[in-house]
Amino acid sequence: MNALAPIADWFRHLNATTGINFTVFYDPFDATRFVHGLWVTIELSVVTIIASVLVGVIGAWGQGVKSAWVRGVTWSYVELFRNTPPLVQIYFFFFGLSAVLPHTHNGFGMAQPLIGGFAWASISLALYAGSFNVEIFRSGIEAIPHSMLEAAEALGYTRRQTYLNVILPLGLRICLPALTNNLVNLIKTTTLAYAIAVPELLYVSNQIWSDAENVPEMMILLFIIYIILVGILVALMHWWERSLRRPGLGT
Amino acid sequence: MSDLPVFPKLPAALRPRARAGLSFALPRLTIWHGFGLTALLLICASVAQAANPAPLQKSIFATLVQWTPLLLRGFLLNIEISFLSMAMGTILGIALGLGLVAQTKPLRQTSWALTQFFRNAPWLALLFFMIYLLPYHMRIGGLHISLPDWLKAVVGLGLPVMANVAEIVRGGVRSIHPGQWEASESLGFTRNQQLFSIILPQAFKRMLPPWMNLYAILTTNTTLASIVGVNDVVTRAGQVLAAAGNNPGLLAPVYAYVLLLFFIYTYPVAIATRRLERRTKVRI
Amino acid sequence: MKFKAFLLSGLVAGFGAAYAAAPAHADELQDIKSKGVLVVGVKADYPPFGYLSPSGQNIGIEPDMAADIAKRLGVKVRYVNVVAANRIQFLQQGKIDLLIATMNDTPERAKIVDIIHPDYYASGYNLMVAKTVPLHSWSQVKGVPVCAIQGSFYNKEVAEKYGAELVAFTGVAEALTALHQGRCDAFLYDDTAIEGKLQDPNWSGYDMPLPSQDAQPWGMAIKQGEPAFEKFLSQTVSDWNKTGYVLQLETKYHIQHSKFAEDAHKAAK
Repeated sequence: MNALAPIADWFRHLNATTGINFTVFYDPFDATRFVHGLWVTIELSVVTIIASVLVGVIGAWGQGVKSAWVRGVTWSYVELFRNTPPLVQIYFFFFGLSAVLPHTHNGFGMAQPLIGGFAWASISLALYAGSFNVEIFRSGIEAIPHSMLEAAEALGYTRRQTYLNVILPLGLRICLPALTNNLVNLIKTTTLAYAIAVPELLYVSNQIWSDAENVPEMMILLFIIYIILVGILVALMHWWERSLRRPGLGT
Repeated sequence: MSDLPVFPKLPAALRPRARAGLSFALPRLTIWHGFGLTALLLICASVAQAANPAPLQKSIFATLVQWTPLLLRGFLLNIEISFLSMAMGTILGIALGLGLVAQTKPLRQTSWALTQFFRNAPWLALLFFMIYLLPYHMRIGGLHISLPDWLKAVVGLGLPVMANVAEIVRGGVRSIHPGQWEASESLGFTRNQQLFSIILPQAFKRMLPPWMNLYAILTTNTTLASIVGVNDVVTRAGQVLAAAGNNPGLLAPVYAYVLLLFFIYTYPVAIATRRLERRTKVRI
Repeated sequence: MKFKAFLLSGLVAGFGAAYAAAPAHADELQDIKSKGVLVVGVKADYPPFGYLSPSGQNIGIEPDMAADIAKRLGVKVRYVNVVAANRIQFLQQGKIDLLIATMNDTPERAKIVDIIHPDYYASGYNLMVAKTVPLHSWSQVKGVPVCAIQGSFYNKEVAEKYGAELVAFTGVAEALTALHQGRCDAFLYDDTAIEGKLQDPNWSGYDMPLPSQDAQPWGMAIKQGEPAFEKFLSQTVSDWNKTGYVLQLETKYHIQHSKFAEDAHKAAK
């Protein structure tokens, strides 16, 4: 804390002399909630990225199975989530679906929904981004040269083995750039959790600027942080893409 | 961070696809699929209604019918915002996209920085930024300009659209075989002639599906304007809920209704995009 | 990379400049009369003070007050729906001429806008809780999840002073639903609004057991530096107090006469 004191002093001084008011750097209450908000945004991003990729893999599999019923369900899911507003999806899940689900009881003996705001935001965002991932994986899978599948069949691979050992790894390499892009969008979309009072970065920023009336300062801080977060994801994905690269496959 | 990926849908549309064998292709979309999904949404809404714990004075259906004019008026604003943002984003985005493939380095780098900034900032944060920080009245010379909040939302949504259109243009131009550049150069075309008479006309067909895709995403994202106080369909939904006595049982049906409105509007766009993608694919 | 960083900072600076280019006005009262319309920011989700009819008309006590002011000025009235999180910005930007939107008259706000005196109403903040919840004092809310509205000025106080865990939503409908679903144990809001809500049969299982805190007057607000407009509005409110106009409005919208309105009427008679 002492090491940070000069920084706090400098920002306090900045506010006193110029009116540029970065409360998060000197007001302990604002600093705590801002750091907490940043942490929630990071958690939400990590959880939804992993979940949406899983949804995408399962969905891409579901589109390729023999059962028309499974294909129909997968297809309806993709179309419904891609073509409706993610914000309204979050509202619908958080308020609408909660009513149908079981409840627990809190300290006052009152009924309390089992799934909280953070969990609903994660589910809703993962399903939204997942519907795009299904399409991305599907196009990756479709781009696999047919000869590869024939070769797998000739080598005696079962359908499941072909999917796990040939289609998935090859398809993943082909669609990584598109996937990166969708995951970047997902990080940006986590701001929607604001609407159901999940204390992520935009939510805490709004609370801070409501109290301190410092909208421009908080906005600049927000943009910088999101650009850094997106930059980290893109760097990681590129590193992954490079480490997966196989000579002769793709571009 | 120096080379971010290109817009996602483009490569998918351009790549050759496996035909027979394991069939992963989607069923051909028809309007009947839309009706089926609409019915599914309605069923979801009625399930939520059945599970509704609080007693209602009025049936939910009657309440929805009563408030439909107000909701539709809000939805119309969403559509208007989507048109204007798309128009603004497309015009600026084409210019920016041409900047991305320009030969002068400073122009390319400026375009790159603008594109990256607006592609990586959250849409909602950009909206807050525009709503709070653009003045309501502006005086440029003797001209007095009013910027109502829905117009600010158009700007706030138009900027990320611009950046995405720029990427589409860049991807489209890059997707044309280098041989086309070389051949036209050897025929004595200038750089501008090459770009506007040879490359862009060919790239246009390939840029159309991702552009339409972007429009669908933009349309669903116009609801974000509700969070910053624009009287769009989601804001209207909140007002309807307040006026109907904050009845908790109404929430799910009202939001399902809003989902349905968007689905009916966006789904045909999705069908058209896929058809076009398929057609483009055949011709390549 | 340096060049790119430079460009980015230029971009940010550009927006800053756009922000700084605030508009200038001569005399607002004259402006309103010459354009023939008074633009008033009112609530659209705060019955009976400001809400909507099925056809989308703004109705309620505050829209009625705005209409009365417009009548006195001889101009038409136009309503703009505002929420707590954007109302002050709208006023500063000149989007609205006058704000009558259940806003408490606080010293922080008086620094950035002009609040008209006398104030026209008053409310404190309070908690709406289910009757089954044994809540006897404010100290009990420590660590309890409490639903609230983004942008309410008392949010920070309740969080800091009483240690409640605030869950703030963008609108009243969302917050009330969250309360009903048990996502929070109490709803922090204006006592006037909670009183209105408790009359609704849907909310008969709820109560307001604690004493209201920090009763603060509600003030109309205008942009700073408009003495003529301020004087006119101030006289209007004084006149309302004399005639008992606020009490009439309370009767019209079926709420009990508030102590604030009764006292103001008595003092002015």
